[in-house]
Amino acid sequence: MSQQPPKGYHSLETMQRLQRSALPTRDEDLSAPDAVTRRDVLKLMMGASTALALGTTGCARKPEREIISRATGPEYQKPGKALYYSSTYTDGPVPYGVMIKTVDGRPVKIEGNPDHPVNQGASDAAMQAWVLSLYDPDRLREPTEGTAPTTWEAADDRILAALPQASNVVLMTRANLGPSERALVKRFTEVCSGARHFVHEAVHDTPRRSAWNRLYGADGEWLPRFDLARVIVSLDSDFLATDGAALENIRLFTRGRKLDDAHHGEADISRLYVAESAMSLTGSNADERICLKPSAMGAFARALLDAVRGRSEAIAEFARVHRVDEKTLTALTKDLRENSQRSVVVAGPHLPQQVHAAVALLNDELQAPGHTLVWNPVRAALPVSDPAEVESVFERGVDVAVFLGVNPVYDWPGGGFAALLQKAALSVGHGLYRDETLAACTLALPSHHGLESWNDAVARAGVESICQPVIAPLFNSRQEAESLLAWTRALAPDSDPIRTCSDWHDYVRARWQGESTSEGEAGDRLTRRRTWQDCLRRGGRFEELTAASPPRLSHDAAQALTPSPMEAGDYELVILPDPALWDGRFAGNGWLQELPDPVSKVVWDSGAIVSPHTAEGLGLVEGDMVVVEVGGRSVELPLLMQPGAVDGVISAYLGYGRMEGGVIVEQAQGANLAPLLGRENPSHPRLALKAALRRGSGHRKLVRTQKQFSMHDRPIVLDGTLQEYRHDAGFVEHKRHLPEPVQMYDPWDYSKGYKWAIAVDLGACVGCNACVAACQAENNIPIVGRDQVDRGREMHWIRIDRYHAGDADNPTVHHQPMLCQHCDNAPCESVCPVNATSHSPEGLNEMTYNRCVGTRYCSNNCPHKVRRFNFLRYQDAQLRDPVQELVFNPQVTVRGVGVMEKCTFCVQRINEGKFKARNRDQQVADGAIQTACQQACPAQAIAFGNVNDPDSAVAKMNASKRTFFVLEELNVKPNVAYLARVRNPIPQRPGHDPSDGSRHG
Amino acid sequence: MFTRKFERRIYIAVAVFLFSGALGVSFGAYILWPSRREADFQPRQPIAFSHKLHTGDLQIECLYCHSQADRSAHASVPPVSTCMNCHAEVQPKDEQGNIRPEIAKILRHWESGTPIRWQKVNDVADFVYFDHSRHIHAGVACQECHGPVERMEHMYRAFGLKMSWCLDCHKREPSEGEPAFARGDATRAPIHCSACHR
Repeated sequence: MSQQPPKGYHSLETMQRLQRSALPTRDEDLSAPDAVTRRDVLKLMMGASTALALGTTGCARKPEREIISRATGPEYQKPGKALYYSSTYTDGPVPYGVMIKTVDGRPVKIEGNPDHPVNQGASDAAMQAWVLSLYDPDRLREPTEGTAPTTWEAADDRILAALPQASNVVLMTRANLGPSERALVKRFTEVCSGARHFVHEAVHDTPRRSAWNRLYGADGEWLPRFDLARVIVSLDSDFLATDGAALENIRLFTRGRKLDDAHHGEADISRLYVAESAMSLTGSNADERICLKPSAMGAFARALLDAVRGRSEAIAEFARVHRVDEKTLTALTKDLRENSQRSVVVAGPHLPQQVHAAVALLNDELQAPGHTLVWNPVRAALPVSDPAEVESVFERGVDVAVFLGVNPVYDWPGGGFAALLQKAALSVGHGLYRDETLAACTLALPSHHGLESWNDAVARAGVESICQPVIAPLFNSRQEAESLLAWTRALAPDSDPIRTCSDWHDYVRARWQGESTSEGEAGDRLTRRRTWQDCLRRGGRFEELTAASPPRLSHDAAQALTPSPMEAGDYELVILPDPALWDGRFAGNGWLQELPDPVSKVVWDSGAIVSPHTAEGLGLVEGDMVVVEVGGRSVELPLLMQPGAVDGVISAYLGYGRMEGGVIVEQAQGANLAPLLGRENPSHPRLALKAALRRGSGHRKLVRTQKQFSMHDRPIVLDGTLQEYRHDAGFVEHKRHLPEPVQMYDPWDYSKGYKWAIAVDLGACVGCNACVAACQAENNIPIVGRDQVDRGREMHWIRIDRYHAGDADNPTVHHQPMLCQHCDNAPCESVCPVNATSHSPEGLNEMTYNRCVGTRYCSNNCPHKVRRFNFLRYQDAQLRDPVQELVFNPQVTVRGVGVMEKCTFCVQRINEGKFKARNRDQQVADGAIQTACQQACPAQAIAFGNVNDPDSAVAKMNASKRTFFVLEELNVKPNVAYLARVRNPIPQRPGHDPSDGSRHG
Repeated sequence: MFTRKFERRIYIAVAVFLFSGALGVSFGAYILWPSRREADFQPRQPIAFSHKLHTGDLQIECLYCHSQADRSAHASVPPVSTCMNCHAEVQPKDEQGNIRPEIAKILRHWESGTPIRWQKVNDVADFVYFDHSRHIHAGVACQECHGPVERMEHMYRAFGLKMSWCLDCHKREPSEGEPAFARGDATRAPIHCSACHR
């Protein structure tokens, strides 16, 4: 679409309706029977059988209750008091430090470890959901042979009988093994003759990694310092979500955009240019977003390089060929030239090597290495094995194949691993669930959950951390490393020192104690023990990453890697890891399935993401099934229309279409994209340049938590440009709708004591969903299933509203965390017939569940639509399951059917903090009470505290000139303040009206 | 004698009378049956532990056994190991020279490592989040809610622990000499819902 976008906050829907007759949607009749029935949702919540067990205890007279006093009290543990253990989250692609909250011996909540240098106390959604998978009733509970249960002894005997005679043994693991695991794998391949170790990951950065290997002659990685860069250019790199250590990237990125009202005239924040093919989370935060096909990325990087070197016509030529706005690219070139040493260019890990070579040359030209790029010589992940090599090994026949924590039957690039597995005489799968691989293996062995395991991890050079168990194993499982150690020990010769190693804990500890002392004091057992305990308490050994001599770029290698333009077909396909489910390993986790996609807000499903133009060209509407074909293989999935996607590019997520692994996996929709990985492009498996897209059969509605992306011209989210802000820090003042000073009731008197409030800096929030998952874990929030979400019954207390504005083909995106606003004049309170929702003298809008009779008047009267109603018995079955109920936070009521609920500002944490302070006759110190969302936020966008204290963080944020409130014209007087985002687009000439400025007033 | 119709009416009347009587009896039983929710509830405990002996006669501090009461929401019932602090030595014997049966029970639990399953006497509803430490630090004596424990041979529930009863105290203006009085009005006991319900 080439016409000038209309001014103002038009929704895309409105715009589309204006520009092309009507928005093509096809709503299903909700009353029609769906694939998911109510029974299924109930089933989903429970381990099917337990529901009936306690059904008869409903008489009014409660049975007498017991207090169990143990023979000896466990050390340190106090009834009802939380104990925190430091550990490491190793399930994701990057190891992060965590603090695990345990109450009465059971882990209930995961927080980030503030001492860990990478995540520094922040957490992401998968980390928050880690605790749920511990209590998953679908976990494999005992070793099985075929479908029959067996014992560990029998399984070990079978494996150890096969191993010594085997000449071909394959050991397949995931990539981010810790140093102890790596050492053990090495020992195993030494003692077991004929054993080969392969590393398998469906999502990896091999194209970029091997490019860097060739360019720098070393196996390391560049860590971008987004806080130091003034100009950030991303080529299809979603560094705020899935590329690299997102928690660190978000922190650094927002640090580079901090504003200080006192010096607004000299405000200087970074400018983010994103050239991408689909709307990613990073792209939604861009100041300037350039729509570009993946096949054009290499040419773009080279054109930029030429332009920065002085040949300006290169960029003009590129803009003409690829039909990109030339002014944007010229401004980008100018920015890069002016910000030598203060700019950085990053490229997505799925792009071909030649793109990375051009980007490396560009960064070198900008003198980024050493300034905005830090070299890390120790990588968290092992290099991934070449699938072709693994396939050839299997083709020749394998005696024993061992799979530790990997699921190749599901996510093997190109698919077809099940057939290869048949060629193994004995196949052993070790995992948390009976997934596709374990179901196909001869022996399926249950693994410990990470919260039951000893382990260690290296996030980068100087950052080594320990993983310690916080609960005894729930099931008859064994850690993968423990199994490997047992087999290694049995195979090792008698003289081998590993024979004396009693267990895996011993192995990890010995490694740490042996390494953590210098040679001078070696042998001092007490010192070593203390060092080990210090490391355990802190979470590991953390040293500053010294920027010692980054490797030099080999220009010859870079030139060799910069050949021909990439040939592309009609459609290009980019296969991305799902922001929540990653490569499918979290598909069994209900919290993550119901976590809305940060951009599309789709839950429990995923589609082929294309631009509205592409869909229109095929005559299709959203939800119509399409067939995506690459190299003779095809996958059928529903079409997802995404404004901001590039015409002719299909993006799709891995992680869906799982076949085995429990009720959650069975409930989820979606298709497995793994068969399309690397079909025509082994060197960059996640990018297919020649894909085909055609109409499929049928239609499946994609269920979203947000259906309306328009603000209807109301000032719900306010933002401004850096120019506006420099001119006037209080620019939002002119865009706000201030209320008439009419007050029906007497205002509350908050002058004494505390008044709790939250402030959200929209300039920092990137919309990553960490708060949503953290709130779910803290406040016992149920999942409801796809069908219930379709009826608008999702239960999240905090959601991230996403709005579109501006150009329909390349919209500006707004993210706004929306939670109960705890209004001073709360409309919900005045309509409750039973006084179940009331006002506290400390400014909280409180919800008393045991009074609620479920009229839903409050929800109806809430202008922010943050109240959630328990339409069904979402958690009853879970409460009755002896394993599942352990996940509940004992400080928060588990709500039953017919009860309204909503954000409480984590009142359990407020009370705990208040009691603690008052027991010492003190006032609550600022920052002593943190809400769950605030604690998780990697951008530190949320502040909570007492606004009566003018020195508190929240009071200072409230006093900012960027502050506004949502729907403040209603005079509800919210207690959640929002700080307007300041964007930094390319400055417009004076007199020229910027497309998204002055939309209101 | 009576008409058939009238006879039928009598039968119905008798049936209704009997039924309502049965209903009344069961309702009365329901009301009068001792509940853990009501005052005077005194369940049978697995060991006949005497609070009167320990805290009344021997003057052992409440916090010696209920050691978390000033630190945690839960007062905590002591583990068997706490009993053994004294009863490792204090093992009174009866005339036959055997260790008294109630003491022997503790020793059995200690030797086998099995927990004691006490019956809960003072209990509030699940939707009430009561915090012991806050009340102790506010200067509330244990007896104000638990009754004269130092005179109880067998523990019983002294008060019904109903919300109105809680509020009687929470709403009271602190009188001179009480710690709450010195702290001023703002630190009076809270009476808003989320103080206890959440």
